[in-house]
Amino acid sequence: MNRLKVFVIGLDCAPPDLVFDEFDLPNIQQLMDCYGELTSTIPAITCPAWMSMVSGKNPGKLGFYGFRNRKGFSYTDMWIANSLAVKEDTLWDIFSREGKDVSIIGVPQTYPPKPVNGIMVTSFLTPDINHQYTYPDALKTEIKDLVGEYILDVEEFRTEDKHKLLSQIYEMTEKRCTVVKHYLKKKWDFFMWVEMGPDRLHHGLWKFFDPTHRKYTESDLQSAIPEYYQYLDNQIGEMLSLVDEDTCVMVVSDHGAKKMEGCINVNDWLIQEGYLHLKEEPTQIVPIKKVQIDWTKTSVWAWGGYYSRIFFNVKGREDAGVLTREEYHDVREEVKKKLESMKDDRGAPLNTKAFRPEDIYTGKYVREAPDLIVYFGDLYWRATESVGHDSIYSFETEIGPDDCVHAQKGIFILKDPEERVSGKKENLNIMDCAPTILDLMGSTKPPGMDGHSLLE
Amino acid sequence: MSDKRYTTVSIPVELAEKIEKRIEGTGFHSISSYVTYVLRQVISSIEEDEKKEVFSKEDEEKVKERLRGLGYLE
Repeated sequence: MNRLKVFVIGLDCAPPDLVFDEFDLPNIQQLMDCYGELTSTIPAITCPAWMSMVSGKNPGKLGFYGFRNRKGFSYTDMWIANSLAVKEDTLWDIFSREGKDVSIIGVPQTYPPKPVNGIMVTSFLTPDINHQYTYPDALKTEIKDLVGEYILDVEEFRTEDKHKLLSQIYEMTEKRCTVVKHYLKKKWDFFMWVEMGPDRLHHGLWKFFDPTHRKYTESDLQSAIPEYYQYLDNQIGEMLSLVDEDTCVMVVSDHGAKKMEGCINVNDWLIQEGYLHLKEEPTQIVPIKKVQIDWTKTSVWAWGGYYSRIFFNVKGREDAGVLTREEYHDVREEVKKKLESMKDDRGAPLNTKAFRPEDIYTGKYVREAPDLIVYFGDLYWRATESVGHDSIYSFETEIGPDDCVHAQKGIFILKDPEERVSGKKENLNIMDCAPTILDLMGSTKPPGMDGHSLLE
Repeated sequence: MSDKRYTTVSIPVELAEKIEKRIEGTGFHSISSYVTYVLRQVISSIEEDEKKEVFSKEDEEKVKERLRGLGYLE
């Protein structure tokens, strides 16, 4: 049998409706022999989603639940999940061991780069371009010769100057595509490229694109999102002309995108409900880390972001724990219920979902997971963790404009030249990607993967 | 990439035979390519442990700053 090759194109944040139907993307859409919505991890966030995809494992086995993670049961200390936190085998670890050639470009959470049987270019969580963002080291010089100053991520993402943001996104994507096309011409068996451009574009420009957005603004930027996708589609067309006919091509995203409705000031809500006590009432909006929390009275506090992580102050676990084990169970159920019955600013049900870690994760790190993982308004609402707001609802993030949130479902597209799988698929999970890719390439699935191969 | 230069190292014949069996039917075409790959892995994991301390406060601050900008941190 020929050794089949797999080329994975990752479009961070690409939503199914736009890619499958609404936009005219001939190169991507002609790959849709097999396709479907791809259910992401909980949380539906870049980290842990991409690593779940390439390891086939859930966050409870990976041991990280977001970019930042709590250090033990500390009130204040946290750690950032970079590649060193990834202890489970990824596809490129497995293929490298089998002596297959891999090329990995832009996959989040790959900095610092690890040696592979091939090449690796890290992603936006590299401190800056002066750090070693490639494996082997010499690749950095090659890239510089190819595109000049490589761009890991756009600067000033929160700018109000949307035209500038857009031109930065194009410049970044153009350079990365040049690099991808260059290395596609070299020897490889498994090639994976992730483009962050769509994510940056959605967050920055969704309100100009979606007329149902609360902040919808008519502007010449209305067509910026579809035009960028068409540009990406052209780039992908050029890439496809560079790969052999016996190559399986997959197009995936780590989560989808939807309009942001607003922010829930989760710690202010916890104060209002009597779970969180501060030593002094704030007179203005203050980050939670800058206020003095009275831990002797506080039973619950939270972290914000596109989703919220809720922590409980438990005796014998936290330094100044107040809840016994039994109380922890009861209070957690009570908070979950209250969260799930919250209303939005107009009095309509918010449809918040609060997940218990033991219900959604398995593995040795489940006990380190947050006590509740919360999707306010099913992710339409962000969570703000600072305190001192006039209301529990906000419509501005404190760090500048943001128009879009993540959706639980991303995209899955596969063209297998041997036609081993085809048609529209239901219930695809992000963890199914790794075992499917192993099968497509004739490799054995190692034990412990949570996903299932589509070829099974 | 620049032209690679090579050198010779000695390993026990018994080990070489074991490796030969192990790489049968895999993508490794020689004992040398397998040994090179394994050694890179080992060295890298040692370096990784060293890097944990090398991933300086300053680097971490830069990454946090980016995450703040992206809306993942406050």
